[in-house]
Amino acid sequence: MTAYFIRRILQMILVIFISAVATYALLNLAPGGPLAGLRQVQQTGRVKITEDDIARIRAYFELDLYLPVRFTRWLAGWPTGPVTIGNKAYLSDMVVGCRKPVETEILNDQGKYESVITGCKELVYMKDLEGRRSSRGIFRGDFGLSWRILRDRPVSDLIVSRLPKTLQLIGLETLLSLLIGIPLGVYSAVRQYSKFDYIFTSLAFMGSAMPTFFFGIVMILLFSIIPKGAGWPFLPAGLSESVRGYTIPVIGAVVAGSVKDRLLHLVLPVAVLTLVNIAGYSRFVRASMLEVMKQDYVRTARAKGLSETAVILKHAFRNALIPFITIVVFTSPGLFSGAIITESIFSWPGMGRLYLLALGDNDYPVAMAIFFILAVLTVIATLIRDILYTVVDPRIRLS
Amino acid sequence: MSTAQVANLSAEAVTIEERTPFQIVMKRFRRHRLAMISLVVMLGMFLITILAPVIAPFEIQELSVNDYFIKWGSVDQATGRIHYMGTDNIGRDYFSRLVYAGRISLTVAILSTIISELIGIIVGAVSGFFGGWIDAILMRFVEFMLTIPTLPLLLIISSMLLRNDELLPIPDPVLKFMGNILLLSPRDSRNAVLIVMVLAGFGWLSAAQLMRGTVLSLREQTFVEASRSLGASNFRIIMRDMLPNAMAPIIVDASLNLAGYVVGEAALAFLGFGIQDPVPTWGNMLAASQQFMLDKPWLPLIPGLPIFVCSLAFNYIGDGLRDALDPRLKL
Repeated sequence: MTAYFIRRILQMILVIFISAVATYALLNLAPGGPLAGLRQVQQTGRVKITEDDIARIRAYFELDLYLPVRFTRWLAGWPTGPVTIGNKAYLSDMVVGCRKPVETEILNDQGKYESVITGCKELVYMKDLEGRRSSRGIFRGDFGLSWRILRDRPVSDLIVSRLPKTLQLIGLETLLSLLIGIPLGVYSAVRQYSKFDYIFTSLAFMGSAMPTFFFGIVMILLFSIIPKGAGWPFLPAGLSESVRGYTIPVIGAVVAGSVKDRLLHLVLPVAVLTLVNIAGYSRFVRASMLEVMKQDYVRTARAKGLSETAVILKHAFRNALIPFITIVVFTSPGLFSGAIITESIFSWPGMGRLYLLALGDNDYPVAMAIFFILAVLTVIATLIRDILYTVVDPRIRLS
Repeated sequence: MSTAQVANLSAEAVTIEERTPFQIVMKRFRRHRLAMISLVVMLGMFLITILAPVIAPFEIQELSVNDYFIKWGSVDQATGRIHYMGTDNIGRDYFSRLVYAGRISLTVAILSTIISELIGIIVGAVSGFFGGWIDAILMRFVEFMLTIPTLPLLLIISSMLLRNDELLPIPDPVLKFMGNILLLSPRDSRNAVLIVMVLAGFGWLSAAQLMRGTVLSLREQTFVEASRSLGASNFRIIMRDMLPNAMAPIIVDASLNLAGYVVGEAALAFLGFGIQDPVPTWGNMLAASQQFMLDKPWLPLIPGLPIFVCSLAFNYIGDGLRDALDPRLKL
């Protein structure tokens, strides 16, 4: 068992490391970033930006360092200068980057000129890193500085400010979909082939085939736009609280930013996420209940003369939950994917929208940080799922 | 039971007509009514999109100047063609764009499915058949891919690839081929090729696991051994003895993947990280309709419903195929 955990945790670290390297490289290979805007300003020629200005800005965002060096500084806050052992500094003359690259215009095979970095006028050495501002590394909660969305502010500030909004959505969604989905699935399985079961399974099937983004838009139409136009009570859609006060028929006046306002804004996004999730959860609970109800021990329980409620709740349901728990744990990081789409439909200021914004705006430190956190969560969820398997079902041995 | 009766029975038993496996599967499939309806609906959709140039009265980028958001059924003054569904915010014919969008969305989904199932079959077969370190490496890789969160990674990759042409050069013949299918210029079809690659790049994992499972369970069977002792090559054993046995789960997987890719492509386009605007897809038309939804509440339904219908239909077809191909079920 201990050996298994050690192996799994080593594997986890490897998976996280590889995905971090891959995404970091991918994001940083692409042109763009904080210098893209400057280049355009320079091209219009009204503001003269000197080579030194660019070098300074590149240094500020660490763009003058080579990718592996940048990566380790991002990951672990190292190296911050030459390695000192005793009183002697080593590696101080190692080249770690290029301050002023030489760009040459080259005619490419399509007959267009493009600038290609062909050399380096001024190198960055390890000793130059000393005294330079550096991220403390993500292990100490420092994800570096944002490039565009909140320029020069720590990424962690941005994430912390957005996190509660996403947690609100995801927390409520999980709670509601479990509370509604499980009883529905159980009831549908107990009344198999009844009219309820038939209608319910078809609805759940449609629900799981329904794309979230289309469903969200339909919900906005049905509960916000159409009733508002008709003068009926409606639900606000968009953002997490309104900017100005508004009046809803029947409910009355709503002050912007009040608790009532925020609750009203929560209803639609949570409903969308919950309904989609219920479809998946209840289908699974139903299938697993049906499987369990066929077992011999359920027949034994009935033969003992137990009431049907006791048979279903104590004997069947508890065993049917075993595979379900693991499904719930494993899908939990996936909730974030649902949140990306839902947040974008409802302009909900959470992490998912921040992620889209960061990718659209070339703010790679922000995108990288969110992706890294997600990868860690997913990998941990996988481990918990595997452990839960053994806890809830002693027949499975880990090896 | 007298001897005469037994004789009668056996005579009846012999006269049951023989059916090919395909006929048996079709007969079972036909009993799943919703799957049959879905099949008919999808065939209709394919027909419409294949005949797109005939059916659509307008070109996808043809602008009717000053005719923004005109009513459905309006007649174009100059040429007498009809805007069946009116025009969009810059005067492009909505119906024509919808038909071409269907052609693009369905082509992307089908190509992604074919490519991902092929990759899955090859990887799964190699992994299961050769075992050892090849299997270990390939399956670790599959597990690795399954642990990283898919949608966020898809978004990163497609945002990188779509915006930076030089990051992944695509050979011209591929672009021309895609352009010919989609009736677009090779330049415009670049995004579609990229989306196919991205979707297929993540979609082959389940097929690989299915194929590997089948190969592993058949590797030690007598008929495989017999084949080998007759001098069959590894390739022949995989193709002739193992692949047919793995086909049933893979066909089901493919039809569910089709549903997933239609939605996946639309989701990427909807979020702005898929095929971009001048080229129509259901996803980006839906995204575009969102800003006019206050005045025109029905607008999002036009591109949204086909996405939902396709997703539902492919799911039903997959469901029907799963039942029809299940060898445990008797007719």
